[in-house]
Amino acid sequence: MSDWPSNFRHALTERGVDPAQVQDLASEALDQAADHGLAPATMFGPATAYADQVARALRVPAAAPLPSPERSGCALRLTDVSKRYGRRHVLRHVSLAVGEGELVAVVGANGCGKSTLLQICAGTVRPGSGTVERVEHVGYVPQSGGTAPFLTPAEHFRLLAAARPDARGRGVTTGARLAASLGWRPRTGQPAGRLSGGTRQKLNVVLGELSRPDLLLLDEPYQGFDHGAYVDLWTQIDRWRDTGTAVLVVTHLLSELDRVDRVVELDAPEES
Amino acid sequence: MTTDATRPWLHGLLELCLLGLLGDHRDYGLGLTGRLADAGLGAVAGGTLYPALMRLETSGLVRSAREPSASGPPRKYFELTAEGRAALGERRHAWRDFSRSIDAVVGSEARR
Repeated sequence: MSDWPSNFRHALTERGVDPAQVQDLASEALDQAADHGLAPATMFGPATAYADQVARALRVPAAAPLPSPERSGCALRLTDVSKRYGRRHVLRHVSLAVGEGELVAVVGANGCGKSTLLQICAGTVRPGSGTVERVEHVGYVPQSGGTAPFLTPAEHFRLLAAARPDARGRGVTTGARLAASLGWRPRTGQPAGRLSGGTRQKLNVVLGELSRPDLLLLDEPYQGFDHGAYVDLWTQIDRWRDTGTAVLVVTHLLSELDRVDRVVELDAPEES
Repeated sequence: MTTDATRPWLHGLLELCLLGLLGDHRDYGLGLTGRLADAGLGAVAGGTLYPALMRLETSGLVRSAREPSASGPPRKYFELTAEGRAALGERRHAWRDFSRSIDAVVGSEARR
């Protein structure tokens, strides 16, 4: 309980702070507490909470996006898409479009077909009727699943990068960098099956972005995230949008809707 | 004095206050805490103060240097960079306009 410095170092490392910097930050914090004549826990509060604040304060702010040439292209267009499972209508006549550099949210009651809609966009589920047009490179972050329990994060990165000839060989480095922007440093040798739910979801987010998709589909991508990671994710979403990626996000957190470009509301499921 | 009602205000204005204090002269954590308290802004917790200074440093508005102190452990001194000085100028203007607007909406004692 009293080992504040070691808890602080551990939490900083876990949040992706450079190990060389961790020692300095810890001794600096102890010096500062001593200067104020207070115990570190009194001065800064719980070590984990303070480490979370410090790790986020140290993260380099996103570089200003390059001015993108013309962003008029449409990355995704659904026209009159419907889907039924048996006699139950899941989606009825949904049309929507997401342009390059546009962030669109899909909201609606539980069971209104939000996840089905995203699966149709990703191409893992066939629409019953209607058409889906989209760009070639798509990243898809499902609500759960999507990772292989016996592979380590690094192996996931290598596997996904292998699919893009231009990214081959850089997967692990890129993956580690993207993980750091979500405050996560993957431990070597730890398979995905042993990660906590929130961390596995961070792996999912990194995998979605790894191949630099032109269209990113996110299905409630923050399950199990703590507050800091949640804030980081929205910062990251803003960055994707600003660099020209089209983003479609399914969310039930309506407080974030003021930061999206457009909201698509699906109709409540029919009464049965 | 800060109260439960005013604390969230200071939360949003702490970085501006720190830029202002460092605009006057370079200082270290304990010194800044004292100056904030002397200004009537109450005791700002270390867990709030230092991350705010780090954010300013990460965004390039402030730089720091550790220096030995005669009385105890080494101290980290913070000072404004050129960008920090420019940012202070801009934010000071923005704050003046904003506080004037708030005053206009809230009204003054005399007018009521």
